[in-house]
Amino acid sequence: MALKEDVVNAIADILDVKADEIKDSETLYDSIGVDSTEMVELCVSLGKKFGIKIATNEITKSSTPLEIAALVEKKK
Amino acid sequence: MKERVAITGIGVVSPAGLKKETFWANLKRGDSFIDEITRFDASLYPSRIAGQVHELDHYSHLPSRLVKKIDVFSHMALVASEQALQDAKIDLNNVDKKRVGIFMGNAIGGWLFAETELRDMYIEGREGVSPYMASAWFPAAPQGQITIFYGFKGYSKTVVADKASSALALWYAAKNISEGKNDYVLAGGMEAPITPYALLSSNSCGQLSKNNLNPRKAYKPYDLYRDGFVLGEGSGIVNLEKEEHAQKRGAHIYGFLKGVGFSSDGYHYERYSPNSESFEYAIEECLKDAGWTKKEIDYICLDAEATTFGDYLETQALKNVFGKELKNISLSAPKSMYGNLLGAQTALDLISTLYSMSNNLVFPTINYEMNDPYCDLDYTPNVAKERKINKALLFARGRGGINVVLAVEK
Repeated sequence: MALKEDVVNAIADILDVKADEIKDSETLYDSIGVDSTEMVELCVSLGKKFGIKIATNEITKSSTPLEIAALVEKKK
Repeated sequence: MKERVAITGIGVVSPAGLKKETFWANLKRGDSFIDEITRFDASLYPSRIAGQVHELDHYSHLPSRLVKKIDVFSHMALVASEQALQDAKIDLNNVDKKRVGIFMGNAIGGWLFAETELRDMYIEGREGVSPYMASAWFPAAPQGQITIFYGFKGYSKTVVADKASSALALWYAAKNISEGKNDYVLAGGMEAPITPYALLSSNSCGQLSKNNLNPRKAYKPYDLYRDGFVLGEGSGIVNLEKEEHAQKRGAHIYGFLKGVGFSSDGYHYERYSPNSESFEYAIEECLKDAGWTKKEIDYICLDAEATTFGDYLETQALKNVFGKELKNISLSAPKSMYGNLLGAQTALDLISTLYSMSNNLVFPTINYEMNDPYCDLDYTPNVAKERKINKALLFARGRGGINVVLAVEK
């Protein structure tokens, strides 16, 4: 749960959006309308933040924060 | 051009002001807005003075999420676009966005974003650069950002033609409106050359003033002691539509674009041809296109390169084309106050000329002190002059002799 919150806060920080705009079970596209360049930025910056490598096909516009948190947990 | 095209909205971001009212009021005063470059350490550059835009953020309503992804030249263009749309009083909820186009010009692109990323990559040994760089640096980026921000989907283009970029963009936009391809076009230009690399590139052309100790006096076109122009940054954007369309919706019309003349020197990649024939041809073609006689011209907004050769050629072209009629034409270069915005310059020249037309006032060419026997015309030195203006020409010359002349009418 704490990790999921960390992921949401990290996404908000990286994309310069408010954390409460990001809904746990909504896709990133549906909740904050991410574009493809922001997705690349997210993969790289989330990877740095959590000390892991995330390939650009591992999280997409259709990913939800819950799914991203699960991926981060698995890779840590 | 068969039909004249109405100008119904104005947006301006310039060293002399970030709103049209401020810009015009400052030009009226005849002050200089050139100063030492403070944005970065420019102490080793031969020319380290410029007209800089301050407080852009204060005038910007863009979300920070977007600002971090774009270069400052797109940011300035988005601010100017918002002003132009508001000034034109276009109800964006009730326009067919497939009929709104964007025609923009710039010469350099968005280097602040690009060079910062590249520097960090080389110095820090990063694995990559920001993904936003892909869409931040290239000359068509502002066009793209404006279309995305407002959802405009009409026919659009970006022109890169050195100092004639926005002159050509304005003209293609007017043609597009005239041919009925779009209902509205936002047209103009943007330039952000006050960055370490862009300033270096601009210095290498050898046309910039090195009068670093006296910035406010440095840009002195046609003066005997001129030593080049001074860079400026900013954006000028106007809204264009058909005259009938503007009248029908009760829009305020500032003036009309009426004709254009083009030519290329075809001589050298950077230098002008040593005679002014090609430039004269562009002026003659513009008069022909507008259907005007030389006697009808009230005002010419000059190119004002402020180099020995550039000003001489421009003066020769004026003498050869207009002959005795020159004494009845007011000439000036308001850009001497705020710097030369390269690819965006003609858009700013258009905006200052529209004020001159509405208010019967010619903005001056400042810093004119010593008469050059080879540049011996009345360039409206130092002080604004009252003058009724109905028909005007705007001169733009890109390096290597890209000559564009626009005809503007009240």
